[in-house]
Amino acid sequence: MSTGPSYDRVLVVSVFVVASCGLAYELIAGALASYLLGDSVLQFSTVIGCYLFAMGLGSHLSRYVPEHLVLSRFIEIELLVGLLGGASAALLFAVFGWASQPFRGVLYALVLALGVLVGMEIPLVMRIMNQRRAEFRELVARVLTFDYLGALAVALLFPLVFAPRLGMLRTALLFGMLNAGVALWTTWHFRAELATTADKVLRGTMVLGLLAGAFALSDRFTAWTEKGIFGDETLHAETTPYQRLVVTRWHDDLRLYINGNLQFSSRDEHRYHEALIHPALQALPWARTVLVLGGGDGLALREILRYSNIEHATLVDIDPAMTGLFARSAELVALNGGSLSNPRVTVVNADAGRWLENSQQVFDAIIVDLPDPSNYGLGKLYSVPAYRLMARHLAEKGYLVVQSTSPYYAPHAYWSVVQTLREADFHTWPYHAYVPSFGEWGFVLAGRRADFEPPKSYRLSMKFLDAASTALMFQFPPDMQAVPVQANRLNDQSLVRYFDQDWQRSIR
Amino acid sequence: MNTDWSRRRFLRTLCALPLLPGCERLARRDLPVSVLWAGMEAGHALRDGAPLPLPRETLETGVLILGSGVAGSACAWKLAREGRRDFILLAGPEAGGNAAAGEFGELRFPRGAHYLPLPSLESAHVRELLADMGVLQAGVGDLRPWYDEACVVHAPAERLLIDRRWQEDLLPHAPAGSDEARDQARFLQSMEQFKQAQGSDGRRAFAVPLALSSTDADLRGLDQLSFAAWLDRENFRAPGLRWYLDYACRDDYGAPAAGVSAWAGIAYFAGRAGQAADAQPGAVLTWPDGLNPLLRHMHEVGVGAAGGRWLAGHALRAVERGNRMEVLCADGQGGAFLVRARRVVCAMPLMVATRVLPDMAALGFDPARDLPQYAPWLVANFLLEGFPAEMPGAELAWDNVIYGGQGLGYVVSTHQQLRVARPPQTVFTAYVALSDQAPAAVRRRLLSLDAQQLLDEVLCDLRLAYTPIALWRHVRAVEITVRGHAMPIPLPGFLSNPGRLALRGADDRLLFAHGDLSCLSVFEEAAWWGYRAALKLLA
Repeated sequence: MSTGPSYDRVLVVSVFVVASCGLAYELIAGALASYLLGDSVLQFSTVIGCYLFAMGLGSHLSRYVPEHLVLSRFIEIELLVGLLGGASAALLFAVFGWASQPFRGVLYALVLALGVLVGMEIPLVMRIMNQRRAEFRELVARVLTFDYLGALAVALLFPLVFAPRLGMLRTALLFGMLNAGVALWTTWHFRAELATTADKVLRGTMVLGLLAGAFALSDRFTAWTEKGIFGDETLHAETTPYQRLVVTRWHDDLRLYINGNLQFSSRDEHRYHEALIHPALQALPWARTVLVLGGGDGLALREILRYSNIEHATLVDIDPAMTGLFARSAELVALNGGSLSNPRVTVVNADAGRWLENSQQVFDAIIVDLPDPSNYGLGKLYSVPAYRLMARHLAEKGYLVVQSTSPYYAPHAYWSVVQTLREADFHTWPYHAYVPSFGEWGFVLAGRRADFEPPKSYRLSMKFLDAASTALMFQFPPDMQAVPVQANRLNDQSLVRYFDQDWQRSIR
Repeated sequence: MNTDWSRRRFLRTLCALPLLPGCERLARRDLPVSVLWAGMEAGHALRDGAPLPLPRETLETGVLILGSGVAGSACAWKLAREGRRDFILLAGPEAGGNAAAGEFGELRFPRGAHYLPLPSLESAHVRELLADMGVLQAGVGDLRPWYDEACVVHAPAERLLIDRRWQEDLLPHAPAGSDEARDQARFLQSMEQFKQAQGSDGRRAFAVPLALSSTDADLRGLDQLSFAAWLDRENFRAPGLRWYLDYACRDDYGAPAAGVSAWAGIAYFAGRAGQAADAQPGAVLTWPDGLNPLLRHMHEVGVGAAGGRWLAGHALRAVERGNRMEVLCADGQGGAFLVRARRVVCAMPLMVATRVLPDMAALGFDPARDLPQYAPWLVANFLLEGFPAEMPGAELAWDNVIYGGQGLGYVVSTHQQLRVARPPQTVFTAYVALSDQAPAAVRRRLLSLDAQQLLDEVLCDLRLAYTPIALWRHVRAVEITVRGHAMPIPLPGFLSNPGRLALRGADDRLLFAHGDLSCLSVFEEAAWWGYRAALKLLA
């Protein structure tokens, strides 16, 4: 049996690397689970708990490795850990992207398997060193010292360097390669003691090659998994301080998702935006100024700018990343006709609530094209005080139009918006239009004046609206009749609860 | 081999690292922490009998109001609204008292009280004030008036951290059919009955202000035992409910259920009968800087262009001389002046009044017998840049309370803003009522603490709600207000205390106006005695 400091050093370095990798996989699994499932305290606790338990299992199982196979098994386990751990992040992303249901199952199975394998490593190394008659006191001290050091190194490097610079996918692959490297290195150093080395070198090289190849192709893989989530190719994806923006394309269909919710499909957005803008602006031939709240995609603006009587439009959207994207991306500019860069337009990136409180401007029409009232923050801009505030910015004879979710799928929410506008002393004219990618969609036209008539014709050419369809828009068939609901007051924000309950009932 | 054990230990150490107080200290090492000892210096000088300075000048006035807290300000407001101008409002050592406020740049925050329950019909004085401010917009005499929604607490109003998860509402959720759920339902039902209850004199059993409550002997019997004893007697034993009731008592009275009168404990729930046309029952009014806007309005009217005069300084000694009251006042800059007034409204805490007025006994007030016990409080304001990462469950609310926490939770100063997204900066205001030891012992201990040690005290709840790393990443400054005598505790028997009853009736040269007269430190009571004093002066 070979002994001596050089072999010891090899093993000690192995311990350091193995300990680093062991902790890295655990952190990756915990971090990914937190990203994808949320609730980081729960995810980290359960992943760490499960992993440590599995390591205990592994330590226990290590006793069943016969004495003469210890070195060989150690090398094989390194290769397996490298392969499994290296692929872990990719595997989790892919499972989440393509089928979210078994994600937790796969996560914990993976954590268990990795934990068992990692748990076997250190006991095996100790036995290898023990076989070399190292003094027990020395052995334990050395192995554990480097075990801790390796863990410390990764614990610091993971959040500071690896996660931000490389991302989860590549960090996992990198550590996988390290494991495979340890396997190859150990094989080389102990080649004299091993019965066969060729097969180990071959397998080690294959694992290393596989992981290195995946590392090189990881960008493509990320795009592929987001495609799994959104169904189509991703043109642009960005997490801003306010929201997650994803633009996808499938043939000629461009789609925008905010926080995973569809905002428009280029195939039918004309229906939504014609319905949002033209009933009001057709009825205001004298209008010269328009305010748009939200609508950072510039599509509502595109329709507004078709009117030559509109001299100026102000768009207030909270997210500069959103308006920037729709002002610069060639494909998106083609869609909104460059409306965000039009000289007749002022784009303001501000919280609509704050802007309304601070501005003194008065507009002939106000278009409220905000995301649905899915949380208390957004709900505040669908409240009685918010509409009173908007009324202060609306000309005496002007109109306000509010996009107000689906009267078919979320009737309580829709009629609550109507009720809220009424409580804010507006006359209201609810209407709806069919937008295939959304379903039946709702709007409310409101004004201080009581004399609105749905347009009988349109001065501009329309793709969707005509006199007959407009008349139907303002009629609500029996299955979309008004339901008795409360106005959305800031004290209880009933609208946010209606919205939540309605959509939970509609979506399975 | 026990390698998994060693690694487990390593990981545990790793996880525990950020929790080490040393690390936390490191994180907040450069943090500016300022400490305000509200009125303490002036109060202690009076207590210790510091020599009285000679006045440099003498002022004459019709009415002198001593103290610009809620009672004094309400008195000044009412006087000015009724056309009186011949009066002086003396600020006292801390202008605004328990309704004081501070600011970090643009962000205002409370240094004391932070909310006002919707006023019931009996609280006509509060409704009058709110209508005068424009907060009560219509139906001042209706059961359910309309309020400016900007000031009605916005959803989500409250949440409770329990088992490391936030739930909506402060009463711990309990599974249907459990003892806990049954006790909670029975308790709320019982309070609803008390809310409706009337005495044989036709008055509501638990009205706000307390002075308008029924004096039925049956009901007054509830003042003879502690709230905890009453709860035991009525068999309300569910631990979640009992925690909540302790919390409520500490929040309003500065002492747990075992330390307050059952009448006061029940009044906390049964007295809040106010409703609004545009809010849910039980809603409260609040502003970023707590109740300070109410005070500012009373000052704008009371000591504005058409009102009386505002003077900085605090009273040192008030004596009757001839047909005048002579009040020696410190100007706060080492000097003193004398005010000769036909009448004086003593709108300061009673423990200070006993030092300023040489002969309280002549008024029927025996300090040894009649002074309330005062609960010590800490109010800490944390300026945050961004918001710390939250534990799972309900999202950040206006009032955030920790189940079993030592403190009273924290409120978010920017909660009432009409905003889609969270603002870049906010202020968390954490409240701690120190009721674990006798008040005097707590005050002695507080005096021995430095700024960092006081910070440790006020962190008791935030520490449980956020990890130190999450919190200290965002905290930019801390201001701690120490209120050694924050509020009088309504001990059993508080309703029939003869000395305080005597002071309520005083209507000669000297009148009294303060929440201490009710032994309840709430806005409605303090404003009531200020308003009553004004009516007496106007009569």
